[in-house]
Amino acid sequence: MSLQSALERLATYRANNTRASQDIFRDGLLVLQKSGFKKLGDDGKPFRWTSLEQLVLASIDVGRLDVADQCLQLIADKFPNSPRIDCLIGIRMEATEPPETALKYYADILDADSANVAIWKRRISVLRRTGKVEKAVNELMQLLDTFYTDVEGWLELADIYASCNQYDHSLQALSHVLLLTPQNPFYVLQAAETAYTSEDFYLAIKMFLTVVDMTDADDSEQLLQESTPLGITVRAWFGVKLCARRIAQNENLKSSSNTSAPKNLELLDELATERLRVAYSSSGEKGEIAKGRQEVFAWVATPLA
Amino acid sequence: MVSYSLSENAYIKIFFHAAKHPHLPVNGVLLGRQASDVVVIEDIIPLLHHWTSLSPMMEIGLDLAKGHAEAQEMTLVGYYQASERLDDTALAPVGERVAQKIRDQFNDAVAFVIDGDKLGTGDPALLSRIHHGINILVGQTDSPSRAITLVRDHNLHEKFGDFDDHLEDVTIDWLRNNACRVESSET
Repeated sequence: MSLQSALERLATYRANNTRASQDIFRDGLLVLQKSGFKKLGDDGKPFRWTSLEQLVLASIDVGRLDVADQCLQLIADKFPNSPRIDCLIGIRMEATEPPETALKYYADILDADSANVAIWKRRISVLRRTGKVEKAVNELMQLLDTFYTDVEGWLELADIYASCNQYDHSLQALSHVLLLTPQNPFYVLQAAETAYTSEDFYLAIKMFLTVVDMTDADDSEQLLQESTPLGITVRAWFGVKLCARRIAQNENLKSSSNTSAPKNLELLDELATERLRVAYSSSGEKGEIAKGRQEVFAWVATPLA
Repeated sequence: MVSYSLSENAYIKIFFHAAKHPHLPVNGVLLGRQASDVVVIEDIIPLLHHWTSLSPMMEIGLDLAKGHAEAQEMTLVGYYQASERLDDTALAPVGERVAQKIRDQFNDAVAFVIDGDKLGTGDPALLSRIHHGINILVGQTDSPSRAITLVRDHNLHEKFGDFDDHLEDVTIDWLRNNACRVESSET
């Protein structure tokens, strides 16, 4: 395992904001032990410090507070009085101190600077994990009132509502996410699944189909029948099929979003069935067969109603 | 009074599922058979680690798991979940619904919650959430320690895949997880 490959992996994780703490810790520790961070230098490219920050977070996540403290000290020495460091210190505090201590620390910072979003979010997350959900929601809504374009905030709100069975509110939060980032199919998928859970099947099927539309490979040259659904598209087709079944079984459905019923339900069901069968029949990207094929074929073969 | 026996394989798989996603809630179903007063939980099928409060993929996963169980001449006998927080050992609302669905088809269905505090110890880390004070026999007495070793020293849990993983890549063997099956230490 070379220093270079470790640094590249760390950069990829940073770019994707992935929480693969075990892997990051492994790679980061290697770099630290080989004094790799020093060699990065700090003129022009700030990778040295963002990588150290990344290692601090990963170390706390895997419970290696010794490494976290070591790196935190390096960063703090370089950047005294930095709000970003304040946030790291807060997270480090949350790892070992009682929640009240962290909350007091955050309250003091917010008193001096009420627009410190990072610290505000830390406070909200502590409130949530200590069970003070209502307070967390209120604060989060205040934050979003001030910083409307904070997609992460809207996603967190949607998640909190969903975990409390308030699916309509969750969907409302997601609608802001979709306004702010309309190109992201994962958010449409989340909204589709939330709509399904709140029993708005007309809206759900429409959104699942939107996901298919957004993610199916560029079919301008190929006929739809020749392409194999992969990844998120498979999940979306499963959703379409499930919704079709629910809609067919229930004559008196109401849509809380006033979405109209889909036309040609049987055709949609047929298409979804065919797409799923293709997904499970071909050898995909890796040349391997899909697993659990029999169970899926049996499931899609069950008639609509 | 019905008692429950959990095979070593089943325990280790639940452990792997929780270990693979330490900062997320995970859930799945238990498969087994009933022989007079004992429900033997022989295997598990892992379901979700993503959007665990949302139902569509859970419903599909349950249906597919049921189909698989029946093909193996087993039944869905229960549900398990692990929360991302150590102090959260209540059954989530979604869990209640799933457990109820399973109980509709199998009277003696059981629901387990993983006890996050006990995961790193050599004690079985499961709490029952339907019948209090029931007898659960977990594999061999060293099954919990074996699970820890397999994760810590062999990273075997990284080969584990659930329904969420399968939906991203249909070549992942979520129903069987054969790569994570261990030789029973029973003679």
